[in-house]
Amino acid sequence: MSSRRSRSRQTSSSRNITDDQIHDLVSKLQQLLPEIRNRSSDKVSASRVLQETCNYIRNLNREVDDLSERLSELLATTDTAQAAIIRNLLMQ
Amino acid sequence: MNYHVPDFDIQMDDEDEYPIHHSKKPFTQQDDEIMELLWQNGQVVMQSQNHRQFRKPLAPATTTTASRVIPEHREIRSTDADNYMNQHLFMQEDEMASWLFDSMNEVEDPPFNRHDFSSETIFHSSAGSAGQKHGGGVIQAQATVRESEFVRQSRPAVVAASRPPIHPARKPEMVVNRTHNFTHFTNTNQSNTRSEPGASSSSMIAAGRESTVVDSCDTPIMTAKTYAASRLSETVRSATAETGCVSVSTTGKAATTTLDMTVTSSPGCSSGSAEPVHREPELDRKRKGREPEESEFQSEDVDFECREEKKQHRGSTSAKRSRAAEVHNLSERKRRDRINEKMKALQELIPRCNKSDKASMLDEAIEYLKSLQLQVQMMSMGCGMVPMMFPGIQQFMPAMGMGMGMGLGMEMGMGMNRPVMPFPNMLPNSPLQTAATVAGPFGPRFAMPPFHVPHVPAAAPDSSRMQAENQSDNHLNSLGALPPDQSRIPNPNFADPYQQYLGPHQVQQLMQAMNQQNVNRPGTSGSQENPEKH
Repeated sequence: MSSRRSRSRQTSSSRNITDDQIHDLVSKLQQLLPEIRNRSSDKVSASRVLQETCNYIRNLNREVDDLSERLSELLATTDTAQAAIIRNLLMQ
Repeated sequence: MNYHVPDFDIQMDDEDEYPIHHSKKPFTQQDDEIMELLWQNGQVVMQSQNHRQFRKPLAPATTTTASRVIPEHREIRSTDADNYMNQHLFMQEDEMASWLFDSMNEVEDPPFNRHDFSSETIFHSSAGSAGQKHGGGVIQAQATVRESEFVRQSRPAVVAASRPPIHPARKPEMVVNRTHNFTHFTNTNQSNTRSEPGASSSSMIAAGRESTVVDSCDTPIMTAKTYAASRLSETVRSATAETGCVSVSTTGKAATTTLDMTVTSSPGCSSGSAEPVHREPELDRKRKGREPEESEFQSEDVDFECREEKKQHRGSTSAKRSRAAEVHNLSERKRRDRINEKMKALQELIPRCNKSDKASMLDEAIEYLKSLQLQVQMMSMGCGMVPMMFPGIQQFMPAMGMGMGMGLGMEMGMGMNRPVMPFPNMLPNSPLQTAATVAGPFGPRFAMPPFHVPHVPAAAPDSSRMQAENQSDNHLNSLGALPPDQSRIPNPNFADPYQQYLGPHQVQQLMQAMNQQNVNRPGTSGSQENPEKH
C-alpha cells in the first residue's frame, strides 16, 4: 500500500510537470474559446475545454467554408463588374 | 404499562386497609377456575419436572395458558380483587426475590453459559411457581410455603406474576456480561421489587408484566423481553431480551435441550389445558415478529453480539470506503478517458498533427485555433472587402504594384482572382452553380462600385476594417504578385506562422481552384489569363 503510494507519488511528480503544462495550455485554449472564455477557469474541466475546442474548431471550419464559398461566389460574379473596375482603375 | 401504575397505587392503599387473608373470599368463582388451571398446572409441573426433556411441544401451550390465566387475574384485580392481588403480589415479590437470588447465585456459577443460565432461571421460577414438588433451595421452600397458603388461587397469579421475575433474575446475568449497561436496570428493578415491602412495587412490576403478557401472550421470557423492551428500549436490555426471545422461539420449535428444559418447566403448569395448543403458531409468529424489533434495539447494545454486528458494520464501512475509492478511481479513469477521447478528436480536427504528446497537441490546437480565428476574421472582412476593395485598392495600389512593374489593371485582375484561391482551399469543391443566387445581391453592387464605398465602412468597424484591409492587402500583395507556381515561396508578409504551415497545402488547393474556375468560366478565366500574359 505504502509502496504503491510512494510509487504513485513519484509518477505523479514526473507527471505533474506535464500536468501543469497541460493545465496552462488548456487555460490558454480556454481563452481562445468564446464559449467559455468568460467563465472562471477553475470551474471548467479540461475535458469540457477540449470539447469546446473541438466544437469551436468545427464551427470555425464551417465558417471558413461558408466564407470562402461566399467569397468565391462573390468574386465569381465580379466578372461583369471587372470591366467597370478595370475601367475605374484605368480611369485613375 | 405506565397507566397501570395508578391502579397499583390504589391497590397499595387498599392493601394497608385490608388484611391479607381477606382476599380469598371474594374470588371463589375465579378461584375455581384458577384451581382447575392450577391443578392442571400442578400436574404439568410434576410432569415437567419429571420429563423435562420430553415436554417440548407443550411449551407454547403453557404460554397460552399463562396468558389465559392472566386475564382472569386482571378481572379480579379490576373489580375488587385488590386485596387478593396484593397478597398475591406479596408472595410473588418474595418469590421474585428468591428468583433473583437464585439467578444471582446461578449467574455466579461459571459453568453456566447464557442460555443455560436463562433456562435454569426460568426453570427455577417455574418450579417455584409450580410449588412444592420442585422445592429446590431454601428460598424456594419459602415460596412453597407461601404457595401452600394460597395454593390454588395464587398459582396462576404466581405463574403470571412469577414469570416476570425471570426477567429481573436474568438481569444479574446481564450485569455479569455487560456491567455498565445493565447495572442501573437491575438496580432499579431490584430496588423496586425489594425496597418496598408492600405489594405496590411488586404489583406494579407484576402489572407491567401482566400487561405485557396479556398483550403478547408470551412465555415468561417473552414477557421479560417485552417488558424490558417497552421500558428499556433505549437501554441495552434489548440484546438480552433478544437472546432470550431467540432462545424461546427456538425452543418453541424444539431446539436445544437446555432451552427445552426451560420452556417445559416454566409453562409446564398449563400443559394440561388442551386449548392453548392451537394458539401456538400465533405465538410463534408474534415472537418472530418481535425479533426484528429486538434486533433494532440490539444495535445500541454493547453486547458481544452487537460487537459482532459492529464488526460487520466496520467491515461494511471499510468496504464502503474501498468501494468509494473504487468509484473514485473509476470516475477518475473515466475523466481521463474522456479527456483522451477529446484529445483524439482534436487531433483529427487539426490538420497534420502527428504529435502524440498531449502538450504539443494542445500547442498545435492553440495555434490552429488562432490561425482559424484569424482566417475567419480575415475572410469575413474579405467578404466585406471585396466590394470595398475597389476604392481601397486604389489607395493601396502604389504599394501593391510596387514590385509588379505591370499595368495596375492587370494586377487588379490578378488581385481580384487570386485572393479567392486561398479561400476555396477550405472548400475545394465549392459549388459555383449556386453563385447566381448568392451573388445576386452583390451583382448590382459591383455594377455601381462608387455607391458601395460608403456602405462597407458602415458595416464593419474601422479597426477591424483596417486590419482586414491590411491582411487582405497582404494576401493580395503576395498572391497577386506571385504567379501560382511561385507561391510556394514563403511569404514574409504572413505574420501568422500557421499560414506558412498551410502554405504548401494552399498551393494545391489553389491549383485546383484555378482549374475549376477555368473549367467553369472559360471566358472569364481566359480574359484573366490574357491580362496576366501581358
